[in-house]
Amino acid sequence: MDNFINNLLFTYFPLIALAIFWFGIITRLIMINKTVHADSTQFIADKKVKLGSNLFHVGIILVFFGHLTLFIPEWVYHMVMTTETKRIIALTMGSFFGTMAVVGMSILIIRRFNAPRMKANSSILDYFIIILLLVEAVLGLTAVAGTATTPIEKYAALSEWAQAVVTFQPDAGAILINHSIQYKIHIVTGLFIFMIFPYTKLMHMLVYPFVYFLRSGYQLVRRRS
Amino acid sequence: MNIRAQIAMVMNLDKCIGCHTCSVTCKNVWTSRKGVEYVWFNNVETKPGIGYPDEWENQERWKGGWKIDKDRLTPKMGNKLGIMKNLFASPTMPTIDDYYEPFTFNYSILHKGSKFKTPPTARPHSILTGKVMEKIEKTPNWEDDLGGEFKNRSKETNFKNVPKDIYGEFENSFIMYLPRICEHCLNPTCVAVCPSGAIYKREEDGIVLIDQDRCRGWRQCVSGCPYKKVYFNWETHKSEKCTFCYPRIEVGESTICSESCVGRIRYIGMILYDADKIKEVAATPDEKDLYEEHLNMFLDPNDPEVIAEAQKQGIHHNVLEAAASSPIYKMAIDWKVAFPLHPEYRTLPMVWYVPPLSPIQSAVNSGTIGMNGILPDVDDMRISHKYLANLFTAGDEKPIKEALKRMLAMRAYMRSKTVDKEINTEVLEGTGLTPEETEKMYHLMAIANYKDRFVIPTSHREEAKNVYQHQSSGGYPDGDSNDTEKFKNLFGGI
Repeated sequence: MDNFINNLLFTYFPLIALAIFWFGIITRLIMINKTVHADSTQFIADKKVKLGSNLFHVGIILVFFGHLTLFIPEWVYHMVMTTETKRIIALTMGSFFGTMAVVGMSILIIRRFNAPRMKANSSILDYFIIILLLVEAVLGLTAVAGTATTPIEKYAALSEWAQAVVTFQPDAGAILINHSIQYKIHIVTGLFIFMIFPYTKLMHMLVYPFVYFLRSGYQLVRRRS
Repeated sequence: MNIRAQIAMVMNLDKCIGCHTCSVTCKNVWTSRKGVEYVWFNNVETKPGIGYPDEWENQERWKGGWKIDKDRLTPKMGNKLGIMKNLFASPTMPTIDDYYEPFTFNYSILHKGSKFKTPPTARPHSILTGKVMEKIEKTPNWEDDLGGEFKNRSKETNFKNVPKDIYGEFENSFIMYLPRICEHCLNPTCVAVCPSGAIYKREEDGIVLIDQDRCRGWRQCVSGCPYKKVYFNWETHKSEKCTFCYPRIEVGESTICSESCVGRIRYIGMILYDADKIKEVAATPDEKDLYEEHLNMFLDPNDPEVIAEAQKQGIHHNVLEAAASSPIYKMAIDWKVAFPLHPEYRTLPMVWYVPPLSPIQSAVNSGTIGMNGILPDVDDMRISHKYLANLFTAGDEKPIKEALKRMLAMRAYMRSKTVDKEINTEVLEGTGLTPEETEKMYHLMAIANYKDRFVIPTSHREEAKNVYQHQSSGGYPDGDSNDTEKFKNLFGGI
């Protein structure tokens, strides 16, 4: 790949995407916090949503947390496992939960395109987001399948690159210059999802109500202020 | 003792004629918006019937309310972990088909359409899809006035331990109306299961509201409420519910449903109760004791000790004054003729009901059943006591029977006074009523003057420090809809 384009996509674009991501998160949570909600369509839909939604959410959440391990420095995980072990765990877990998410998403996509009530009440953004996520998940699975036997350095490079990006290394893109095309597309699409994240319904992820566990007892009474 | 004031309602079912005026006025004021076409904060059900939404009383199916799990009070849906697990897809949430598919008639076709070969018809169009509906399957009052087969209607759970086959026969059938609004419970399950903490109970009057700014649409409240009185707005993707018309209550006016009730069946007043007892009372082991225990929570508003303590705890003078002349206190506690709806759900509801009398007058006139003066015996009512008890006292018939007896005695007494012109105190024997109390009861329940029915203290808004921060915390999507639209454009169809 051309050096300039490589640099653009893997040195500069990640930073641009993250800047837009953080700008959106902060403005939306502060200025129009009330627009962040789960956007559930279970109420008007058929029974299929239960299976589809559960598979999709559980799958995608575990895949998401799996990706966070990219940011663990080598010397930290080397205390408990080798890079090879980490790769095996990552690939098996990733493909299992990735497949789970893909199956769930397929059910949800079929429902969104077929159920008359869903068709009448879906925006272009609704279709766009779910297709984008499906494409990204399928790309991830193909990348895993296509590069499972490549040298271990290739795998370690991904982690190295991710850490270089978040630590603002000026030559982050160079790490990926000879990497496989599947991963490159997967990364660019992923960054694109990050970029548009705050401006879509994906935001509901950030308001997952953990505080519920911290509430003492069940009832809430508000005193007039 | 932690004294709190609660605005409460009593509906006198003996006088409800099932005209749906309350439902219609409520609908026009609060739910004539997109996304809540199917929502009736107030609806009137014909009993027996499965109601709206389908079989709402069947908690085996919907898992609303509370249960005692290892001596601990837990929402029937499960504990906090169980509820959080359900966020991706609620297993017990009713969907719109359990209510009804909202529809409209496309009347404009009659004006705009070209020449018809056949007489023109207006066909129903679904509001969800905009498409023609071949058949309307149901509406919120599909069983109105005993519509449909008894076989379907009799699925309702209040027939538990009632030989219901008898009531399937035409000669023995009975009818009663049950208007329903949010119960504004003392121990609301909707509040308990809301993971976002958006639903709350107001301290000053106990009204339960959904903060629209904090609602994230996790939908657990819809499942949690055993009365199915929290509704999901499918347009805003947030929940809404009856607000007890708090903008009216705050200025001392009655709710829309009460104001417009042509039968004058609704009463609104203040009740003082001890909030420290909520947990203990709601966890009463035997369901049948719940009604009595609930009564024990209420405090006597004329007791000087209670008044002094309430004042010390900051309850306003006008609230205490209203509580002292509360029609609710008289009917629920003094005369014990009003009952909570389904106390066994353990939510401690605060909209109570006076059970209907259903004398079999024709049989009395022909002399086949016993009489109490000119009115028939309480034991020979058309509606089974067991049925009423299943509705109002978790199956305990005794309080229901006694209430009906008092109501009958009041009628017999007043009849002797106004028709026979000679006061007959014998009819009051065994009811615990004195002639003075009976006259008072008659005045409140039969005459039902406006000022007696609604004793509502104005709220103290003058004490509010920052009104702006309360915008849209009151239960409705924000008043300034242009605001939302503007951001919708900026952030592309959120």
